[in-house]
Amino acid sequence: MFFERDGLVSRLRVLGVEYLNARPLWQALTEPPATDRMELRLAPPSELVRALSEGEADVGLLPVAGAAAIGDLELVPGMAIAARGKVRSVAIVAERPVSELTSIALDLSSRTSVVLGRLLLARRKLTPSFFGAPPEKAISSVKGRTGALVIGDAALEIEQRFPYRLDLAEDWLEWTGLPFVFAAWFARPGVMTAEHVAMLRTAKQIGLTRLDSIAKAHSEQTGLSEASLRDYLAHAIRYDLGDDEVRGLVRFWSEAASARLLPSCSLVTHAAVQVGAPFMAPERAILESIPLANPEGAMNRAPTSNKTHQRPSLDVLLQRAADGERLSLAEGTRLLRDASLFELGLAADAVRRRKHPHGVVTYIVDRNINYTNVCTTSCRFCAFYRPVGHAEGYVLSREALARKLQEVVNAGGVQILLQGGLNPDLRIGYYEDLFRWIKKEYGLGLHALSPEEILHIARLENLPVATVTERLRDAGLDSVPGGGAEILVDRVRKKIAKAKCTSGEWLSVMRTAHHMGLRSTATMMFGTVDTVEDRALHFMKIRDLQDETSGFTAFFCWDFQFENGVHMAPGEHGTHLYLRTQAMARLMLDNVDHIGASWVTQGPGVGQVALRFGADDFGSVMFEESVVSSAGTAFGIDASKIESRIRDAGFRSVRRDVHYNWLTDPI
Amino acid sequence: MLDVTCNIRDKLRRGERLTFDDGVALFLEPDLLAVGALANEACEKRHGNFTYFNRNMRVEITNVCVASCLFCSFAKLEAHMPGAHTMSLEEAWRELEVRMDDPPSEIHVVNGLHPGLPFSYYEELLRGYKRIKPDIHLKCFTAVEIHFFAQHFGMTYQEVLVRLRDAGLDSLPGGGGEIFDEDVRSRISAGKATAANYLEVHRVAHHLGMPTNATMLYGHIETFAHRVDHLLRLRALQDETKGLQAFIALAFHPDGNGMKNLPAPTAVDDLRTIAVSRLLLDNVEHIKAYWVSLTPDVAQLALRFGADDLDGTVVHETIYKNAGSHSPGALEEGELVRLIREAGRIPIERDTLYNVIREYPRAAVPEAALKVKDRQRARRALREASVQNACSSKETGS
Repeated sequence: MFFERDGLVSRLRVLGVEYLNARPLWQALTEPPATDRMELRLAPPSELVRALSEGEADVGLLPVAGAAAIGDLELVPGMAIAARGKVRSVAIVAERPVSELTSIALDLSSRTSVVLGRLLLARRKLTPSFFGAPPEKAISSVKGRTGALVIGDAALEIEQRFPYRLDLAEDWLEWTGLPFVFAAWFARPGVMTAEHVAMLRTAKQIGLTRLDSIAKAHSEQTGLSEASLRDYLAHAIRYDLGDDEVRGLVRFWSEAASARLLPSCSLVTHAAVQVGAPFMAPERAILESIPLANPEGAMNRAPTSNKTHQRPSLDVLLQRAADGERLSLAEGTRLLRDASLFELGLAADAVRRRKHPHGVVTYIVDRNINYTNVCTTSCRFCAFYRPVGHAEGYVLSREALARKLQEVVNAGGVQILLQGGLNPDLRIGYYEDLFRWIKKEYGLGLHALSPEEILHIARLENLPVATVTERLRDAGLDSVPGGGAEILVDRVRKKIAKAKCTSGEWLSVMRTAHHMGLRSTATMMFGTVDTVEDRALHFMKIRDLQDETSGFTAFFCWDFQFENGVHMAPGEHGTHLYLRTQAMARLMLDNVDHIGASWVTQGPGVGQVALRFGADDFGSVMFEESVVSSAGTAFGIDASKIESRIRDAGFRSVRRDVHYNWLTDPI
Repeated sequence: MLDVTCNIRDKLRRGERLTFDDGVALFLEPDLLAVGALANEACEKRHGNFTYFNRNMRVEITNVCVASCLFCSFAKLEAHMPGAHTMSLEEAWRELEVRMDDPPSEIHVVNGLHPGLPFSYYEELLRGYKRIKPDIHLKCFTAVEIHFFAQHFGMTYQEVLVRLRDAGLDSLPGGGGEIFDEDVRSRISAGKATAANYLEVHRVAHHLGMPTNATMLYGHIETFAHRVDHLLRLRALQDETKGLQAFIALAFHPDGNGMKNLPAPTAVDDLRTIAVSRLLLDNVEHIKAYWVSLTPDVAQLALRFGADDLDGTVVHETIYKNAGSHSPGALEEGELVRLIREAGRIPIERDTLYNVIREYPRAAVPEAALKVKDRQRARRALREASVQNACSSKETGS
């Protein structure tokens, strides 16, 4: 399977959610005898999805949207957090009827609720705009035609505050006649024994006897009415996963897949019912008796054994991908591993054609300026950096910069990509002055400072990332380059770039930048110690953040450039792997508009061919790129050559700006 | 994929031969991958998952040349001109001698048409190489050179070839094919062998039992129709003689020659040309991706666009180098193996006649592991192909 587990299997690693409504399912797991066999960790839902997909846990109380995104997990039968009718804790609140709302603030901490909300609005043919906001901010932005989707305690707290309230589970019941399942136990295939299942089951039964005390404790903690909480746990939430709940779950997955909000997900139930725990037999019978619930025949998977679980064929997957359906992590992994070069290329080309039907490939005239090579991170794959105090360390002078910038302007350039090492001598004022000066004197687009550099400045100045981003934005920053993402899986990052930020930090800087109104690109450098699974996970993390913020303009990837001065052997690489990976990016990243061909690393020939593997952007006419070229790759190419390459590949070329706006007519 | 390409696909699956119009249509098909997938299918049908390469070296003895080809950045016309250079026999032999601790299996000699060297020079050259390494394969002198020798020394093609064969010549390289169309050919390479001469030299060589390769220089002033015409003339020769081993499409490189204002063909054109060659030349066993002309990266891609051969280590190439090729001068054997493996193929070191010298184990990378289904299919195809080959070689006695 696609999860690696180090060492001997010891205790089952269980992930629970801190939320009140989840507590009855896991509380007893914190006590013996469960603690002998299981190790419970509590985390917010997004962390749950991450930990399970990176193999750090075996089973988790996953939101159902997260389970679909990962794919290939087993549903543990019998237990869920569900509601039939009013759930009270998930609602759209507003001062006006929902049909009159033009925008809705989303508390993004629950993707399942967000997807449900979108489905319910779409069903009413309502198309308000959405924007992400933390809970308090979401609630405070409710005014006039702006509503908010609120969840959890925040939703319970303001139950009576707004005149209009759409309870999502209630609305779902009205639409489908089915209960709604918010979360359930999902396990990595094959790790749960019948005994484990029985243990979770027992924990639930114990939990159900403790609803009063759980409500009381939560009331003391939050100040919410104890009676109201007791009623919430005892009546609004349902903890059984029965026939109707499963139908509700499958219906939700199927509706969300049709709406392209989630990968299509087939139900695979855990096989433990067969071997032990006779009391579960009735549920198994129920599962088996459920008629086909969606066109893919998701319910047709025999739940008696995961061995008989039939996955869709590669051809079916490729067709779904080409049609623009969302792929789960497991599906993406499988395609990346098993599909042929042509299959991936043709599917990606089909997606590119649909997203960019004009047959246009864009490029930008810009210059990559590396303002300093002094860096404290010592990444093993980097041949560019020099440690602090090294004789070859430099910071470009204003004069040197002025010359370079003037050349960009003279050549018709519209942007500079400004990146450098993490130089402890450069303070935020340096960047602010620099940006203001560049904007004032040259008016160029500023695609500058990767997340790593922004974090570095924040640490250096002891300022929150948000403040740093805001100040840089005010000084003229237009867009944040996606460099330094490498592979957004911490196991890999630790091996290749120990001193660099974690994947969570990288994503969080991007989230903040997007919230500040900045756009950014996303990148991936593969071909070191990363595996196919890691690359697919990288795509999923980018896609998840993009769901939240829509802030990424484009995605670029390249393989590790192994050359002089690099202290690391290459892993898998090569032109075929590059094209496969880029094609896969086009298939996985259904919510990112542009995929760029990285001709600077791959060479203009492969870069051109990459336009037939899902890319719609040819990157830039670059004057210099010292990071990549010091590793030995140095391709120079001018605008007319780029245009003729684009034309030869069968497209028309257009010059663009940093925001991917067209600056010329297609030629 | 255009309808016409779908028709071509159906034709190919029925085993029908492609026509001139089919060839032009394949060049015009906007969907590169559609053409590539067809060529890949044809290639895998013949060669399964194997890709060939050899350990060879290039020797270019003289750049003095009486021909004046617009596309050439190599020739220096007359012996007294600056940069003109002609090796002595000893210098030419030393090229091999210094490599005798890890000798190549083939020497590939291509020269300018030097008016001042005696015929015995060439005979001695070959004899010397065989003295140094008796089992070395000598793939020397293009059809253009053979034609030049015949004219210059007043012999027939057959006389030239027999004398050179007696001196040690084993096969002819394919250089000098350029474009057969008479109009184009006279404009880009006046004063050298015509298309008819080129084809006749190959015909005579084949009748003598000497295998040859064939080339096409594309991406200059020719049209797609000219390329198809070129390929079909080769196909007709091959129908007649069965003597062509491999076909090499050579990309025009514009630096430092008489056509420097033309853009070089781009990778998409390179891959398409290789793919169409594979599809049209249904009677030629091997299609080479000559990495010196394509760059190793594009050559690597070509292994999925119809090519089954990456040529060789090519120590000492200067003709493309002078025309601005960015490819490295020579590739280590290990590098070729890596390029082939990364393309998901199994590397086979071959000799000039495509006898297997060494089959490399397939790398245990996921790229390779992915293709269980493909491998089964390829094995089946290979079995069928070998049965067919066995039948056809009985017919021709080759």
